[in-house]
Amino acid sequence: MKTWLCLLLLLISVLAWCAPGEITVAAASDLTFALTEVAHRFELKTGNRVKLAFGSSGNFYAQIQNGATFDVFFSADLDYPRKLAASGLAVAPTLWVYGTGRIVLWVPADSPLNLGKMGMKALLDPSVQKIAIANPAHAPYGRAAKAALHNLKLYALVRDKLVLGENISQTAQFVASGNAQIGILALSLVVAPTMKDKGTYWEIPADSYPSIEQAAIIPTAATDKTLARAFLDYVRTPEAQAILREYGFQPPPETK
Amino acid sequence: MTADVAGDVDSADKGSLSAHIQKRFPGGFELVAKLDALGGITVVFGRSGSGKTTVLNCVAGLLEPDAGRIQLGGRVLFDSERKVNVPVARRRVGYVFQNLALFPHLTAEQNITYGLSRLEASARRSRAQAMLEQFRIANVARRRPAQLSGGERQRVALARSLVIEPRVLLLDEPLAALDLPTQSQLIADLRSWNREHQIPILYVTHSQREAFALGERVVVLEEGKILAQGQPQEVLRAPRQETIAQLAGVENIFDARVMSLQETLGTMTCRLEDSAVHLEVPLAKIEAGATVRIAIHAGDILMAVERPRGLSARNLLAGRVLSLEQQGIAVHACVDCGVTFQVRLTPGARESLHLDVGREVWLVIKTYSCHLLEHEPQ
Amino acid sequence: MNWQALALSVKLAFVVSVVLFVIGMPIAYWIAYSRWRWKFLVESVVALPLVLPPTVLGFYLLVAMGPRSPLGRLWLRAFGHSLSFTFEGLVVASLIYSLPFTVQPFAAAFRSVDQQLAQASATLGVSRLLTFARVTVPLSYAGIITGLVLSFAHTLGEFGVVLMVGGNIPGVTRTVSIDIYDQVQSLNYVSANQTALLLLAVSFLTLSVVYAVNRKVWAL
Repeated sequence: MKTWLCLLLLLISVLAWCAPGEITVAAASDLTFALTEVAHRFELKTGNRVKLAFGSSGNFYAQIQNGATFDVFFSADLDYPRKLAASGLAVAPTLWVYGTGRIVLWVPADSPLNLGKMGMKALLDPSVQKIAIANPAHAPYGRAAKAALHNLKLYALVRDKLVLGENISQTAQFVASGNAQIGILALSLVVAPTMKDKGTYWEIPADSYPSIEQAAIIPTAATDKTLARAFLDYVRTPEAQAILREYGFQPPPETK
Repeated sequence: MTADVAGDVDSADKGSLSAHIQKRFPGGFELVAKLDALGGITVVFGRSGSGKTTVLNCVAGLLEPDAGRIQLGGRVLFDSERKVNVPVARRRVGYVFQNLALFPHLTAEQNITYGLSRLEASARRSRAQAMLEQFRIANVARRRPAQLSGGERQRVALARSLVIEPRVLLLDEPLAALDLPTQSQLIADLRSWNREHQIPILYVTHSQREAFALGERVVVLEEGKILAQGQPQEVLRAPRQETIAQLAGVENIFDARVMSLQETLGTMTCRLEDSAVHLEVPLAKIEAGATVRIAIHAGDILMAVERPRGLSARNLLAGRVLSLEQQGIAVHACVDCGVTFQVRLTPGARESLHLDVGREVWLVIKTYSCHLLEHEPQ
Repeated sequence: MNWQALALSVKLAFVVSVVLFVIGMPIAYWIAYSRWRWKFLVESVVALPLVLPPTVLGFYLLVAMGPRSPLGRLWLRAFGHSLSFTFEGLVVASLIYSLPFTVQPFAAAFRSVDQQLAQASATLGVSRLLTFARVTVPLSYAGIITGLVLSFAHTLGEFGVVLMVGGNIPGVTRTVSIDIYDQVQSLNYVSANQTALLLLAVSFLTLSVVYAVNRKVWAL
């Protein structure tokens, strides 16, 4: 019995030594489709495994602060990785802005509003009773939406119609279910396979809001920093960048 | 829904209860009962499970019979053929449940006034006050049921059901939990209330003592069937109703005349009617010359083949065995001592005594084996 | 601390408790005494919010209130605006969400009242409705207070459903639990902590009331 147990332990350790590496990646929800595909390609190329956890950037931030051991953290908001780096919870030089998010007006497919013709004026249409945006208090897309409304001198006109989603996905739900007639959503979300056919979008001019810089960083507590670096390097390749663009992320501004 | 001709109930006949009930239960038990009750106490007697409470619930309207007819005075409460079924709340039935069902959150007085909400406050109070006094519970009027003794609770329950002036009173084992003096006091108060009102009272009990001591009438129920109904002594003496005798457990019932009272000894001597047989029985509050009814269990009588000596038993009677009969595991003997006594003994005793028909024997009867049945002159 | 959110939550919890008291009574009465063969189905529906994740319930409510559901259309036609993102919408959602917290203690209390008391009441000529008011309710008061306090506390701390159908409008649908969540998301941990502590204290207080009341029942 004892010998068998020893043999078993030996076998397990040998397997573990031979086995390819594995990293856990925490990523903002808007990356769900893009990063799944990128990670899949990375796995095929290197034989390593990438476990993906998608969720709210703020939640991941709180979790890393409280000892969660993610190997890479892709945040929809540049602030979180910066704060982690400043407090020594992440490796500062690894901070990398991987893309910028875009915001769009979005209406369900059965909406009478013609976004192509009306543009931002669609928000003022009398049929619009509720406008869904993400909560500007903590969601980067919400902040951008609010800034755009301000800059386009629309905020005071629509303020009473705003309903706030807790994140950009829930904001989309408000509009998709018809409870809000129009919403300001992330481009990455509305071009995703699950949303593509459900409505139409109109890109809000990028100069009307500060760019939504999205950044990745390797936390200090990462278990396999080498593999984490390798994965980040792969996301930088033209091949991976093309996938991100396809899902609505603009390429990062050169150097930082 | 129904021809309500309740009206006033001054003649006992008009207020009498006639119930014809058929009710089958999922377990297979079936009640088929046809009973009548005039003004006064009718005891419904039977073992537990014989259907006594079912009878009460059908009369009260808490259970709907499968078939039958229940009539109270001129008023039809239930008639399966004419599809009449007066709701409980409109039947005017007084019901004292076995567990009393007093409202625990109300005081004794509030319990009593509960059914009077349609009256004005002053009328309600005076009616309640009269009941509190008549049933001797005025001193506990402000207490909750939990703070009352068993006898007081019983009285509150009785007063609560009578204050609404019901047309019939249903009592389910009302005395079971009370001691003897409390019991007889309560019955006396109930009787005095009913002298004025003359409503039929159905009194359910499994106690033979109560059954044959209280009732002006007895209805004997067994497994959902009525075995007999009538005056207690008629019911008990009915020759072919052996089950009743067994149920009652009293085989010997005699009318007797009180000859003398021995108050210091706690006994009195009675002569059994139409005979010269004298019995010493427990002393009762009764005068010499009065008639009483004496009941003796067949199993309480000792038999000897020679005259016994030095006994504490006061009653020693010489007689002759008339008949011997094996009944189950007991032997049933009839002994003629001037009147016929029924005696039960074991087959072993029969053998060791070499008993045969015609044999001369002695019967020994303890004073306290002679039970006096209460005797209400009609 | 966001007193506006706290006041809104208290108002919501109060309105919901009062409405649940009114509609919970007949539902609990029916559940306690009905002998309908399919009663268990109704009991299950009432208990459903206990086991469903609030997000699921919230999602269904959002869809039901939306203009694509017949119910949502009906409401829109009757009142001119949609039920979602309004205080009334939160009330409706909370009613469903907190229903079992009212109905179950009510029904349990009604059931534990000796049925013979109701029978005694009937023989004394009192109707069923009055019997309920004069006997069943007074004898169930501990269960009734339990149900009310629990639904109040539960509505006060409700998060998932409000998040789903509320739309986070200050003073209208931003309740205290949403506010705490927002503060945590915005990394205002100190402020979140204060509000959370207050909510904890209020919840503790209400539950203490429930247990205190339940210890003192009518003797016998």
